[in-house]
Amino acid sequence: MTKVIAITGKGGTGKTAVAALLIRSLSKKGKFLLAVDADADTNLPETLGCENVKTIGDAKEYLQAEITKPRPDNPDMNKESVLKSKVYEIIEEMPGYDLLVMGRPEGSGCYCYVNNLLRGIMDKLITNYDVVIIDAEAGLEHFSRKIIRDIDDLIVVTDASRRGFRTAERIHELVDELDSNIGQIHVIANKVTDANREKLVKLAEDLKLNMIGMIPLDPKIEEMDIKGIPLFEISDDSIAAVEIESIVQKLGF
Amino acid sequence: MADEFPFEISPMFEGERVRKEGMFVELGGPKSLGLELVRAKPMDEIEDDKVTVVGPDLKEMEEGKTYPWAMIFNIGGELIEADLESVIERRIHDFINYCQGIMHLNQRYDVWMRISKDTAAKMDSFEPFGKAVMMLFKTELPFIEKMQVTFYTDQAEVEKKMTEAKEIFKVRDARTKNLHDEDVDVFYGCTLCQAFAPTNVCVVSPDRVSLCGAINWFDGRAAAKVDPEGPQFAIEKGDLLDANTGEYSGVNDIAVKLSSGEFSKIKLHSFFDSPHTSCGCFEVVGFYIPEVDGIGWVSREYQGMAPNGLGFSSMAGQTGGGKQIVGFLGIGVSYFYSPKFIQADGGWNRVVWLPAMLKEKIAETIPADIIDKIATENDATDIDSLKAFLQEKNHPVVASWAAAEEEEEEEEEEEAEEVAVAAAPMMMPAAGFQMPAMASMPMMPAGGKAGGVKITFKKAKITIEKMTIREKKE
Repeated sequence: MTKVIAITGKGGTGKTAVAALLIRSLSKKGKFLLAVDADADTNLPETLGCENVKTIGDAKEYLQAEITKPRPDNPDMNKESVLKSKVYEIIEEMPGYDLLVMGRPEGSGCYCYVNNLLRGIMDKLITNYDVVIIDAEAGLEHFSRKIIRDIDDLIVVTDASRRGFRTAERIHELVDELDSNIGQIHVIANKVTDANREKLVKLAEDLKLNMIGMIPLDPKIEEMDIKGIPLFEISDDSIAAVEIESIVQKLGF
Repeated sequence: MADEFPFEISPMFEGERVRKEGMFVELGGPKSLGLELVRAKPMDEIEDDKVTVVGPDLKEMEEGKTYPWAMIFNIGGELIEADLESVIERRIHDFINYCQGIMHLNQRYDVWMRISKDTAAKMDSFEPFGKAVMMLFKTELPFIEKMQVTFYTDQAEVEKKMTEAKEIFKVRDARTKNLHDEDVDVFYGCTLCQAFAPTNVCVVSPDRVSLCGAINWFDGRAAAKVDPEGPQFAIEKGDLLDANTGEYSGVNDIAVKLSSGEFSKIKLHSFFDSPHTSCGCFEVVGFYIPEVDGIGWVSREYQGMAPNGLGFSSMAGQTGGGKQIVGFLGIGVSYFYSPKFIQADGGWNRVVWLPAMLKEKIAETIPADIIDKIATENDATDIDSLKAFLQEKNHPVVASWAAAEEEEEEEEEEEAEEVAVAAAPMMMPAAGFQMPAMASMPMMPAGGKAGGVKITFKKAKITIEKMTIREKKE
């Protein structure tokens, strides 16, 4: 069975970095995985060291334009296989894992039909992998559209800011409203320092959030960011990478 | 059947992705030419179960390379006719993907396949693959009595087949475009929009595309065949009750069922009487303009106001929600191309206004004798200018004005037209809220003064967001 893990949180908390570190750790362990960038502000490819530009959004627009032509050239077009072809073409084959970028939000027309086709394609695509890791925006739009239906673990990344925790709380509420199949919800505290460690633990307790890990503020990450080195190339002994290993274990790997 | 073939066969492999790392060869696809074609042939021209490979066979191919690819299936049988070619061709995608380690994508002249290293290691030739696919065809579609396939992997041969096939597709497309409601026994329904418009009944027929513009009759047919319990399903059209309005007993039955009894009739090509329901995601909304007795249409892309003082979004709000709103109708753009386009209510002769952008887009389908008589925002932005334009151009609706005026004088104190009430711009609510339709309303007392106006509503739908009535102070 494929395990689906979604990572979300307020912008700037480092959720994309956490997603990249998880992808790195799991693919090193030999898990065949699909990384999905479901944030309209696409950052994951760069963090993984990939200059991917094609997105599912482009594929959807292509099909939508094709099928809503007033006089389609081929009324009997097999739209499912055409969309599937576009999706499979967009998938970036990275060493040991695949990368899929959702990209831009849809235009103004009705995408019910295209999304319904996409849902079916995604359901089948996902079964190819041991793990799917999704970098998702806080609004969880793709989940509300049920493009990806079921999530085993939803991880909310937060920093020490009150607003980061507020977002975590709101995501909790949102999940209840979504009526998606979401297994467990966890919180990862990011950019943890000695000064804010205790405060973070207390905040999580107050809000009854299940804290699965605390990633220390890692000067190496900042350094790599400035130099433009993909985070995927971080060394195993960096303090953030070490903490990720313990999180991966807690997630059952 | 698993023992017969070197690889496993199961629907389980349908979404299987063969990655570059695990791929032996790539056939067709974005970097090369890929073709698939099904041809109906006389029985005696088919050598059953035969696989021919023209060009390098699998074992002669170099690992990691991309090759041009064409596969042409010839089918025969008592029930086989040319019209079935496309239906059968659509299944190639399914059946090839049932084969483990073989990925098939896209269709027609854009086919893209990959053979995995594992599967390639189990066979030297494409022959077992061809036999497996034909076995699947004959098992699932038993009316195929004989079948034979030729695979082409030689560049020049593939190019030749591609040119021939494109001509065949052209002929086939021309034929599909000529399919009409009366040529088929089955229409298709779609419930995708019921998520937000629970009483919406979307009926897709050869002469009527879905309101969103995305689903045509062929899509309905394909989807219903693959998953009859899915969002698109077959509607037996039943008896033709009225050819002009497009009323079928089967459609009426499904209207009752899908709307949970809210609607008893849906007439496919009618604007006023029991029109199609409107979901909310239609591409274009039509609106009756009582002052000119004509119909205007506004598309989603049009940002401005229609002559009735409303824009697309406010009319969409009024019309959407899966209701039959007399005086408004949501459609897909392709419906303008239908030979039955609102034929119950005058068709193109009733159309008085279109946004310039839309008019230009669909110009080829507007009858030549009416095209210059239809106003755009450049000709008319309100009722008065529209009236003047139509009069000047002598639009067909103008003829009905004089007749209506005479009638009005005679019947001034009688019934107001139901349609006029429903479509009067002043009655428009801001949101899509709508009061339940009433069969009739009690007559208003005429009041103390003699010579007051008596208004009777029949089958009226009235929506009022706010209404203030106060005594006139003299």
